[in-house]
Amino acid sequence: MHRAGWAGFQGGALAARAAAAAVFAFTALGLLGCGDNLEAPAGPDREYRAGGDTTVDNRASSAYSFPAPNLSPDQTERHLEGDVAFEATFVTGGAPVNNGLGPLYNNSSCGRCHGRDGRGMANIGEGATSQSLVRVSLPDGEPDVPGGSVGVPGFGTQVQNHAVYGRDPEAIVSVEWRELAGEYGDGTTYSLREPRLGLLLPDGGSVDAGILTSLRQPPSVFGLGLLEAIDAATLEAWADPDDSDGDGISGRINWVWDVDRRAAEVGRFGHKANQPNLLQQAAAAYANDIGVTNPIFPDDADGSEDIAMETVEVAAFYTRTLAVPGHAPLSPAGERGEELFEDLGCGGCHRSQAITGLHELAALSDQAIQPFTDLLLHDMGEGLADGRPDFMASGSEWRTAPLWGVGLVQTVQPGSGYLHDGRARTIAEAILWHGGEAEAAADGFRQASSDDRAALLAFLGSL
Amino acid sequence: MRTRTIGLFLTMALAAACGGDDDDDSADTSDDTTDVGDDDGGSFEDQEIIVAFADNVVVPTYTVLAERAVALDDAAIALAEEVSGGGASQVAVDNTKTAWADLRKPWEQSEGFLFGPVSAQGWDPAMDSWPLNRDDLEAVLASDDVLDQAYIRDLPETQKGFHTVEYLLWGQEGTKLPEDITDREAEYLIALSEELVLITTDLSTSWTDGVDGQAAYREVFTTAGDEGNDFYPSIGSAAQEILDGMAGICNEVANGKIADPFDRRDPNLVESQYSFNSLFDFQDNIRSVLNAYTGDFELGGTQGVGLDEWVAERDPDLDARFKAEVQDAIDAIGAIPEPFREAITEPANDDLIVTAQEAIGTVQDTIEGDLSSLILQ
Repeated sequence: MHRAGWAGFQGGALAARAAAAAVFAFTALGLLGCGDNLEAPAGPDREYRAGGDTTVDNRASSAYSFPAPNLSPDQTERHLEGDVAFEATFVTGGAPVNNGLGPLYNNSSCGRCHGRDGRGMANIGEGATSQSLVRVSLPDGEPDVPGGSVGVPGFGTQVQNHAVYGRDPEAIVSVEWRELAGEYGDGTTYSLREPRLGLLLPDGGSVDAGILTSLRQPPSVFGLGLLEAIDAATLEAWADPDDSDGDGISGRINWVWDVDRRAAEVGRFGHKANQPNLLQQAAAAYANDIGVTNPIFPDDADGSEDIAMETVEVAAFYTRTLAVPGHAPLSPAGERGEELFEDLGCGGCHRSQAITGLHELAALSDQAIQPFTDLLLHDMGEGLADGRPDFMASGSEWRTAPLWGVGLVQTVQPGSGYLHDGRARTIAEAILWHGGEAEAAADGFRQASSDDRAALLAFLGSL
Repeated sequence: MRTRTIGLFLTMALAAACGGDDDDDSADTSDDTTDVGDDDGGSFEDQEIIVAFADNVVVPTYTVLAERAVALDDAAIALAEEVSGGGASQVAVDNTKTAWADLRKPWEQSEGFLFGPVSAQGWDPAMDSWPLNRDDLEAVLASDDVLDQAYIRDLPETQKGFHTVEYLLWGQEGTKLPEDITDREAEYLIALSEELVLITTDLSTSWTDGVDGQAAYREVFTTAGDEGNDFYPSIGSAAQEILDGMAGICNEVANGKIADPFDRRDPNLVESQYSFNSLFDFQDNIRSVLNAYTGDFELGGTQGVGLDEWVAERDPDLDARFKAEVQDAIDAIGAIPEPFREAITEPANDDLIVTAQEAIGTVQDTIEGDLSSLILQ
């Protein structure tokens, strides 16, 4: 059964106070308790690996799909059960297995968007399912949950552009790509592509032009448990909301709505960090992307649930316990690129090292990892701005994307794109799109010699 | 319940077998080499075997697949003409069923290498999703919609592909009669088979020439380890890809295709159940392991060097043992009585089914253990 957006949670009256309440809620819930690792993270002797002890060394197309090798046998078994849930294709009600699809949806299983546990493709609107999707909201009004975005009548906060047989989808979505010419400092030319989103009602009518839209390509799903395990206190320490150190890079935590706790919580997941934990992320994806209602997001109209909590939990467990691929050995050029990565300032947001805090899964606790993200929001400039705020994220802010495994994107999913909407066809294009707080770093890349550019790309390719 | 199309279920053993290389290690090794990938994926450096795998196994498998899709389409068109002329003959139905089963063989023999375009482009689910959405499938038949290839392309995966064709030909119980095939079903059938022709042609082309502006995947794969190859940093990583695919399909057959319905004694979960083709599917899956290993593809008449020669040169006993294990697994699957959807509900068959699962598990263990150790370390 379908439920649109978060419309079931009418907490609008609290919205204005959400931000103010956030820090209180955070402290009151006792989540600062795990901050010990902040000051203690291992000296220079501590060995950092991509995913700490969850790392696997595989540079082929299955690289994102391994269970963390440090799980217990029981946990591995549960992970494999989660794999089944993750791949389960939903069909219309009445089928003997996996019923509950839609009636409105974007795709029919988790794995159809996050193929081989990687990012999906930037395709939308053609065929029977889409891998990418469009988030929508209104600029003003009552948010669906405190501090959240304001749903659009008929759409909610996400356009479901597919429907089961006999039903109209919410809208017909199309994307046209426009090429933009550019030039490196040494005169070498390049071309970037920018999406032009088309949104029509099923009858061909136009959609209110005042709606805020944001095209999204699915992110990869490995290593997420480690990101969940980084202490909020660590993120707080990394954050520099007012750029008090004057380095031109701020970094803000997105405070988002935790449905279970009914309180503001640190956002970690999604391109704007609008989900606080993997359970809620999975439940929202079931409800919104597949139209499969569940105990966290039941049907708007009658409160019914297509799947039980166990299914949501085991799917979340699966993403929580996928291993991180280890780095490929560095060539001399790659070593030079690693230095350039820091020299150019990339590492200011794409933090190369973190120590996880305590997590209920021991395999994820106290891990010395190399996620290449700070999980914080940064202004990425007008070029990448979607103009659609999400909780405390502005229309030009995005969460720093983790770069672990980025060198395997094409191996796992040939043709997949980079950045939030998949507009970048190569890692180089992704760098060139960086603006705002990352403008200086991107300019540094643009002006670098071709050897240095190749070196930086060799380093990123090894991740 | 998972569709078995994309499930990647690689086990701990393979992951655990891999050694670590953190930045410190890699810095050490790269002092000695200018080749980015030399150490990644182990010592295997035989590019000839990677090229042979692409040219003698992958490309011909997809070529045969595309040819047989055309044969199914031809048979379906002949059948549809008879239906619109007053009713299908047994011969036309049998021809179409045979063409369907013939098409399944190269497809199932391709499931040992489900990487690259077949996965990224969504062609695997577009052709081979299970279960079917029978409610919506019946609703489509009951509608006035024009059923042509373009219409099929926009249908959800669970209403098209191999198993929808199968359902239309055999019926839910496998007992459908020629005169029961309606005009609408015939219309649906030829639209489905035309779509299968287009997809399998694209799949074949994606390896030989490239589609959607992307490089031919044969070039991508066979140049593993070359400078500028962003997909496979070393020849060893390409070998890893082959081994991962081999192990993955073993796991999928033993722990997915067989275990899911068997553990729950639920015939609804059995794939290719309308045609009673399930066990042939499973055997062809294991044959794909052999094809990938030997570099030979019997259906296409192609052969050449393979991992088997490389292994035999270093450990002839392992090569012989592995080939025997693969044959044992194929035989053990064949010992389960058809139809599989009934066999799983009859406790007298339990030993045979478990034996087959164990035989497949032995193949997987050898791939992830001794073969990976020899080739990748």
